[in-house]
Amino acid sequence: MLKYLLKRLFWMVPLLVGISLISFLIMHLAPGDITSTEASFNPKTSEESRQKLRELYNLDKPVIVQYGLWLKRMSTLDFGHSFASHQSPVFWEETDAEGNVKKGMIQEALPITLLINVLSLALIISIAIPLGIISALTQNRLPDRSITIFVFIGFAIPGFWLALMLMYWTGVAHNWLPISGLHSLGADKLSMIGQWMDTLKHLALPILISGLTGLAGISLFVRNGMLEVLHQDYINTARAKGLPENTVIYRHALRNALLPLITIFGLSIPGLIGGSVIAESIFAIPGMGKLFYDAVLMRDFPVIMGILTIGSALTLIGNLVADLAYAWADPRVRRGVMS
Amino acid sequence: MKRITQNPLALAGLIIIGLISLMAIFASWIAPFDPDAIDVKAILLAPSWEHIMGTDGLGRDVWSRMLFGARISLLVGIVAVGISTLIGIVLGAIAGYYRGWVDTLIMRFVDIMLSIPTFFLILAVIAFLTPSIWNIMIVIGLTSWMGVTRLVRAEFLSLRGREFVLASQTLGAKDYRLIFKHLLPNSLTPIIVSSVLGVASAVLVESGLSFLGLGVQAPQASWGNILTDGKEYIEFAWWLSLFPGLAILITVLGYNLLGEGLRDALDPRTSNRK
Repeated sequence: MLKYLLKRLFWMVPLLVGISLISFLIMHLAPGDITSTEASFNPKTSEESRQKLRELYNLDKPVIVQYGLWLKRMSTLDFGHSFASHQSPVFWEETDAEGNVKKGMIQEALPITLLINVLSLALIISIAIPLGIISALTQNRLPDRSITIFVFIGFAIPGFWLALMLMYWTGVAHNWLPISGLHSLGADKLSMIGQWMDTLKHLALPILISGLTGLAGISLFVRNGMLEVLHQDYINTARAKGLPENTVIYRHALRNALLPLITIFGLSIPGLIGGSVIAESIFAIPGMGKLFYDAVLMRDFPVIMGILTIGSALTLIGNLVADLAYAWADPRVRRGVMS
Repeated sequence: MKRITQNPLALAGLIIIGLISLMAIFASWIAPFDPDAIDVKAILLAPSWEHIMGTDGLGRDVWSRMLFGARISLLVGIVAVGISTLIGIVLGAIAGYYRGWVDTLIMRFVDIMLSIPTFFLILAVIAFLTPSIWNIMIVIGLTSWMGVTRLVRAEFLSLRGREFVLASQTLGAKDYRLIFKHLLPNSLTPIIVSSVLGVASAVLVESGLSFLGLGVQAPQASWGNILTDGKEYIEFAWWLSLFPGLAILITVLGYNLLGEGLRDALDPRTSNRK
């Protein structure tokens, strides 16, 4: 087991290097850099000062040299500083000579995005699994048919459109929920619990939307998994030896049908992180998606690279955790991993 | 073909896609107004007999813009999937047929591409290019071929060991004959299903990009950018946001229904169970 874990962790290094190389090349082969966006804000910027800026950021060197420099810094986990945002550290907080602490950009954005995703996953699990079970147990009858229709609509509904509609309906028309940002005005005067409630209220819509759009796939998956398991021999055996139907379904069938879900959740991480861009920019939530979108528009290379690297590392770790959890839950897989 | 029309899912999907494609193809004949014609006397009119989907902030007829937007959305979806399917078939066939180090190399590359959050990757590329529908098609195509590659490789690996392929090989068939005569035709079903489903997600991605302002640019109409305009007027012109969203939903639904229906109809394993 330990050997397997070490092997997997070891493999992550070349994968991450590959990921960062590809991201770096894509970014640098495309036209434009920070100097072209800064210049557009300040038309007086001369070609000479732009050149100076390029030298300062090493943008005048060949791409492969720049990548080497980036990789060298990364080997000490130094993500560098933002070009655009007042030299803020990209990843983690830093204390300068005067003792002022500057928060890292990813350090501030990541927990928000993670919170949204964890809560919407919880929402998905608590709704999708019962739906999938009902659907499988009433196969081709009315409940199954209606759930299937719901699932197909859930697949097809554009998340940003749903966001817009719900934002209008709950925020503008009825004024039930706040529609943008993370905190209300004056929220810092509230108690600890009050502040949490305020943030949760702001996150309610984004969570609801990513939950609703993610529901469909999972519930269809549970349905098909259940149907497949219910046709297995051991279910017949369980029924034949006279176990009550509930025990057969919830103890024998469900556990096996839910196992592959672990892998599905592991695989859905890049989609969830990537999907945060649109929701966060609609609701003006300062998470990873919004940070990335702004960085891309400013061609803020260190921030873009930092987010792509962290996002990919999270994906790899997520997959590893999913595989380990699967091995832990399923003895058949465990034997394969151990050997 | 008969199996497809007998499958209710596939049939429903086919009808939806057929209707929308017809509207897109004949947009110039169906559209009652010029989609780009600005009319200052008809700004933000609610749906009526004259303007069945109302007008936008510049007095343009929304129904006409929706029809021309359908062209863009379908075109982007289909061309992008064409690109990704082609890349996927070529790489998957090479990996699955030759195996060995080429296979390892290609599959590691697939792993790398799959580990980068997809929408970030698309955004990182698209923001550096001048936004145009051609660039969007290419970028969506270049960032969504990984699934097809894995699929084709898996099909090739399993088909290679089958008797009819071994027999042909024993009879001295060349690589290209084996690939194009035996392996590829027998892998077509899953490829077709995955490309139909691929169009659905490409349409969603395109509308998302256009919504963020990084996709199809004004004045050219796309469902995504009509929706962006709609966002500005959401408090007093609901029709601007409602119709483009519904159009995207119905189109994506159509492709998903067709894809799942085809899978059911063409895959003997699942169709028996029903």
